[in-house]
Amino acid sequence: MTGQAFFVLTALADGPRHGYGIVREVEELSQGRVKLKIGSLYGVLDRLATEGLIEPDREEPHDGRLRRYYRLTRDGRRALAEEAELRAATARVVRARLGLTGPAAAGAAG
Amino acid sequence: MSGDLGLEQRYRRVLRLLPGYYRQRWEEDMVAAFLDSWLTGDPEDDDAILEFCKPTWPEVASVAGLAARLYLGAAGAPRRYFAWGQAVRRAVLAVMLVHAVLGLEVLVRTAWSRRLFGLPAPPASLVTLSPGGVWPTVYHVVNVAWIVVFVTLALGHYRTARVLAVLAIVPGLAALLQAQLTGIRPAPFGPWAWWVLFNLVPVAAMTAFHRDAPPAARLPWLLALPAGYLLVFGPLLALEATGSSAWLPDWPGLCCLLAALACLVHVPRAWSRQADGSGVWSLTLTLLGAVAGAYRIITLSDYWHDPHLIKVSLAELLMLAAAAALVAPDAARAQAATPASPLLPSLG
Repeated sequence: MTGQAFFVLTALADGPRHGYGIVREVEELSQGRVKLKIGSLYGVLDRLATEGLIEPDREEPHDGRLRRYYRLTRDGRRALAEEAELRAATARVVRARLGLTGPAAAGAAG
Repeated sequence: MSGDLGLEQRYRRVLRLLPGYYRQRWEEDMVAAFLDSWLTGDPEDDDAILEFCKPTWPEVASVAGLAARLYLGAAGAPRRYFAWGQAVRRAVLAVMLVHAVLGLEVLVRTAWSRRLFGLPAPPASLVTLSPGGVWPTVYHVVNVAWIVVFVTLALGHYRTARVLAVLAIVPGLAALLQAQLTGIRPAPFGPWAWWVLFNLVPVAAMTAFHRDAPPAARLPWLLALPAGYLLVFGPLLALEATGSSAWLPDWPGLCCLLAALACLVHVPRAWSRQADGSGVWSLTLTLLGAVAGAYRIITLSDYWHDPHLIKVSLAELLMLAAAAALVAPDAARAQAATPASPLLPSLG
């Protein structure tokens, strides 16, 4: 799973969001590191929809246009959980190799 | 007039880069998200934004990148775009194979001229690159780089292959510019045509190897490297070594004949209509034939002084056109449009 797809799925984890809502949420989640352009966002959304990981939730009128909201599917939730576990496991290994685990490291960091 | 367009119309014009089936599915949503990203909620500011602002270049680039990925589609894309994507990927691999085989040939010549691996002394008729100097060294490095580009591409390391390919075409451009500036131009059009058609265009077309692209059949492509050398350059080297290479066509002519031969070999599959994926190969061969034909046509201008060479070149072109015409109908069938499947379930 690409970093962008991971962030988009994470943005939808706590509820449906519309296109720009996902862009803002991804920027916040990544602490400003990932700023999705609209073309990139819809490339990711199209791929995730094709893979059955997201689906349309509802449409709401806003300023004369319809905003379409997306939500995670059951498969999407499972895929995100698996990816999160994989990334967390990798992060644990990295922290262990850098000696960043345990009370000593915590004390040194503090 | 573009000056009369508002932000929304300007963005919709950018979205025209995308295939129709994709616009039908996503355009309104993209426009809504795009305008959301600009508008502030303040009516006065928003009126000014809608009237005077334009989509930023990074935004346009993101749509162009998406368009390239969609037109050169992967599995799941409508049949036409998948066929084009596969054909372009195979054509790029084929051109990289040509570069790799040429690189292998340079290595063999160098090994032979230096009598490495116990090889006997080469005959005087064998042309070898004189060692030493900056350009010969760069030439050797670039040729080895093409072998690495081909192998990494066939193995699916697309990003590495792209970076190496971009680096590999730079020395060729530098050499051409140097020749242009110093007035050393034995054949004014041929080298430029080679660089554009066989370096710049295929490297740009490597865009087709995006993350959704299905992997190439590794083993057949990797085996094509030694096979291509043994079947094409082995005999050529032998003819040159025995001093009987005078009747051989020049390099553009050889490209035409090889492309024509590949088309003829493929004809039984293309005409059977039973073989799976034959249409994509027909499209690939048509693309390669077009590149070889364009190379031949451009290099004709280097032969205006010699009517005999012009006649030979036209005969090569004719053979290529006839062979390509035999697979062209199958290529056309491969890209016949089919409606896109509704991947997004409709609301309600």
